[in-house]
Amino acid sequence: MNLTRRKSELVKEFSPMLEKTSTLSKIWIWSLVAIILVGAYALFLQIYKGQSVTGMRDNVVWGIYTVNFTFFLGMGYAGAFISSVLHFIKTPWKNSVSRIIEITTVLSIIIGPIFILLCIYRLDRLHYLFMYPRIQSPITWDVIAVITDLIGCFLYLYLTFIPDLAILRDNSKDLDVPKWKKNMYRYLAIGYQNTDEQKEKLHKITKTMSVIVIALAIVAYTILAWVFSLTLQPGWNSTIFAPYFIVSGLYTGVAVIILAMFLIRKYLKLEKYIRKVHFIFAGVILLILSLLFGYFTFSEYFPKWFSHKASDANLLNTLFSNYFWMFIIANYGAVLLPLVVISFKKLRTVKLITLTSVIAIICLWLNKYLIIIPTLETPYLPIQDTRPEYIYYTATWVEWALTFTGVAAFCLLFTLLIKFVPAIPMSGIIDNEEAQKKKKKRFKKLKTE
Amino acid sequence: MENKKTEKRSTNRRNFLKLGLMSSVTAVAGASLISNLTSDEELQASGEKIRLLTPDGKVVEVDASNINNYPEAHITPAESRKGIADRKFVMVIDLAKCNNARKCVEGCQKGHKLDHGEEFMKIQLIQDNPDAEPYWFPKNCMHCDEPPCVTVCPTGATFKRDDNIVLVDTERCIGCKFCITSCPYSARQFNWEHKAKFDDKSQPYSPETSVPGAEGTVIKCDFCPDMLRQGKLPHCAQSCPMGVIYFGDKNEDIVTNGEETVRFSQLIKDRAGYRHLEHLGTKPNVYYLPPVNKQFPLERGFDIDEEIIERYKDVPYVKELKKQGKI
Amino acid sequence: MKNNIFKNQIIASLIIVLAFSLNALAQKNEASNYKMRFKFKTVKQTDNSRLLEVNFYGQNKKDRKDKISVADAEINFYNVLNEEEILLGSAKTSHEGIAKITVPNSQKYLINEVGLITLIAKFEGTEAIDAEEDDISIKDLFLELNLEEIDSIKTVIVNAFTIDSLGVKTPAEEVDVIISIQGMLSKMILEEGTIEDGVFEYEFPTNIPGDKEGNITVFSIIDDSDDFGNVIQQKTENWGVFDKEIKSEGNKLWSKAAPIWMYIVLSILILGVWANYVYTISFLFKIKKEGKELELAQQLENNQE
Repeated sequence: MNLTRRKSELVKEFSPMLEKTSTLSKIWIWSLVAIILVGAYALFLQIYKGQSVTGMRDNVVWGIYTVNFTFFLGMGYAGAFISSVLHFIKTPWKNSVSRIIEITTVLSIIIGPIFILLCIYRLDRLHYLFMYPRIQSPITWDVIAVITDLIGCFLYLYLTFIPDLAILRDNSKDLDVPKWKKNMYRYLAIGYQNTDEQKEKLHKITKTMSVIVIALAIVAYTILAWVFSLTLQPGWNSTIFAPYFIVSGLYTGVAVIILAMFLIRKYLKLEKYIRKVHFIFAGVILLILSLLFGYFTFSEYFPKWFSHKASDANLLNTLFSNYFWMFIIANYGAVLLPLVVISFKKLRTVKLITLTSVIAIICLWLNKYLIIIPTLETPYLPIQDTRPEYIYYTATWVEWALTFTGVAAFCLLFTLLIKFVPAIPMSGIIDNEEAQKKKKKRFKKLKTE
Repeated sequence: MENKKTEKRSTNRRNFLKLGLMSSVTAVAGASLISNLTSDEELQASGEKIRLLTPDGKVVEVDASNINNYPEAHITPAESRKGIADRKFVMVIDLAKCNNARKCVEGCQKGHKLDHGEEFMKIQLIQDNPDAEPYWFPKNCMHCDEPPCVTVCPTGATFKRDDNIVLVDTERCIGCKFCITSCPYSARQFNWEHKAKFDDKSQPYSPETSVPGAEGTVIKCDFCPDMLRQGKLPHCAQSCPMGVIYFGDKNEDIVTNGEETVRFSQLIKDRAGYRHLEHLGTKPNVYYLPPVNKQFPLERGFDIDEEIIERYKDVPYVKELKKQGKI
Repeated sequence: MKNNIFKNQIIASLIIVLAFSLNALAQKNEASNYKMRFKFKTVKQTDNSRLLEVNFYGQNKKDRKDKISVADAEINFYNVLNEEEILLGSAKTSHEGIAKITVPNSQKYLINEVGLITLIAKFEGTEAIDAEEDDISIKDLFLELNLEEIDSIKTVIVNAFTIDSLGVKTPAEEVDVIISIQGMLSKMILEEGTIEDGVFEYEFPTNIPGDKEGNITVFSIIDDSDDFGNVIQQKTENWGVFDKEIKSEGNKLWSKAAPIWMYIVLSILILGVWANYVYTISFLFKIKKEGKELELAQQLENNQE
């Protein structure tokens, strides 16, 4: 009975986030919608006029759509990996961030493939990927991997929702939400009563799902890295591309999660649950990942410079002439900044760690840009053309608009989702408290014995 | 006096009438002749005009009859996946003779209805090292034996045939451009938008002609299988005034440039034929004969539009020439 | 005064006449810009019929590269001996300016004392274009081509002879002959030699692949001889050494069928993962069932109370 009371307490605590929409929230949502509308117009233009409205031309045929695709999927797979690994780590603090991580995962894996669809011109023939698939093609593998991963992560997210949905369903009279939401809670909770058998079943399938998702995340992002590294192009044909991508994906994922943690903590006033210790721990992970990222980046470029094979030397020349500042900011920034901020105790504040994450996100996006586009600008046979748009790639407003639309859609879906289910799993809070009580009891028992 | 006048006038009139009759007769004759020339055979207008001299001494322009028999033997996209039986096509390009006349580029553009900027055959100016003399390098699709582009196509829109030719089926292509990124020779191009010429339904589509194109699909040199089926050389080989491009069948070991017919294996052996970027393992089917004992001085090749010379501005030799003010 | 008007009228009318005639002349002028070329040749073909061909075109007097074909011009072909004329046939020039007829083997030609056949091609001419005529005097040469293996050496034997009215064969002397083979797009010259005393032998190379069955079509061609015109003879023999097996595509990365191990690995991975999903979803249904049962049980309890 304690339990039921505790549950209704929690629901009362979290209900404001589910019921009302503050003015700030409204402004936030409507500005996101505005961005998305601009993007819709850009999309219309692209479909109507063809891809000549983008900056892509015969040599650089993949532009920032592919960069975004790689970036978002990196975030997604990293999130999947982290949340699955966290499932096996028994610490109380993981609960506060687990839902944020899982939502980030699923949304990234939804938004990412939309970008690659923008890069495919003949969307009217998309079904050919399923009618005439060639299994020797890395893109076929990628299609299978993304779809499988999306369903897997979605299932996993749903599994974590079920106990909370059950709590919300049971306390729905305390909730001032529209009827359809209450119906949704009841329907989606699939009759979960938190009995021992049901709990056991749920734990079983969540566990197997976690194992699968860990493997899936690694394999799927490896396949995406192979889309580039199985070609012959200078700069792409690298043996360490897959681990490099996984590390930079993890780095991106952690950075985005820190940013999400910060925003949710601030605007939903969840300082009680998302505490500084979370940020510091995430910051340390960020630091480790940034060092790994730096190590891999250095391993990529240093041998190229040292052995200066003609095609590699050409590529490095492009990188250090046209893309000099981008290269410096992207790679040095992403490596050095966390090092500085996390190493010094004074600098280890929530705000600074978040700022580091934001800069890291931008640097990592630039890093992906530097991986994809300069290689296409320095093919084996020199580009001998007079049209500047065929020699250098410059993204047009259509591409930028759609990029920001993707980001806005991500934020919007995130916002809407945490208005449906609380951002901190209530069932997790209860489980933690139960576990603590048991520990105290045991401790008391030990003490008294 | 007046009689003389009228006489003169009437003579004039007679002359005038005579002339008028003559010209009208010739006009009528000419017209009937033209109609004769154009109505007799089933002329499929290729849009091109040829100038003929009629026996009556008039120069007339007639629609060039489409002597291309290909549309009668139309090869559908499904049939085009099987190659021409028992052949292994190969091309040999003699770099010692290339003079950047660019007739191959133009011939190919005409044969495939390409726009000015679209070039299946590109002429590059390659300078292997700072001390070397640059040479003109005609580069089309290499139709590799182990093509990286075919491997990565997710829908099988591009395929390798038994006769060595790699084709693109633009009815299957989804425009993902993976093949363009994986070709190390940069041989493929893309249709970035809709063009009016794609709506021309007068000729049914076949991957062997690459006409009409489709927006959002990949295009490239196809070794002109439509010409080969008629026993003719591809457009580029036919158009080259220097006989740079040899084409033939590896199985029968014969290549020809239209004037000379030689044994392929002998040509490669005698002239040290090589393949470009051999170390990448793509096994291309376009062989190059090194630019030894070049027939023409390099400068002759610069006798082209400035806009085209601008393309080569990064070649060290061109930079030198520009510095010296020769270009 | 009157004279002036008269003069003016004359001048005016002259100008008008000139204008019109200039117009007509301008039309005529187009033809006169070109110097006419009338090229007549004859080819004795493999079945011993004779092809007579005329190439009629104009070459721009100012720009030699500008050639324009004369189309639809009627050309008559004659076999002439002294005053006698046999019309062998007539043809109209095509769009390429070529008129040709094939005279069958059975044609009896008028032959002069030394055995020469005189052939004439005539274009009657029009107001605009002058009449053209060209003649060829040749002997009727019979070319025999044999491909024999003598002492296990593949030999090409060419016999050339003329047959006079009595049926006596006279071997041809000192004629240049070209031995070539048929390729897909063109003929390849193997050897250029001279027929001496009516015979020419050539040792055939042993490394020519031929077509997929090893068949080679050999040609012996006399090209533009003053005495005999053009003569072609051909024969096909299985002298090719084509030994490459015509393999069809295997299971490669670039073929339609993938390497077998790819199918296996992919199936295992996909089956493994999706089996897990099915397992998960089935458990969800179990949970739902349990929940429903519990609900029912609770409802019953509540009803009972």
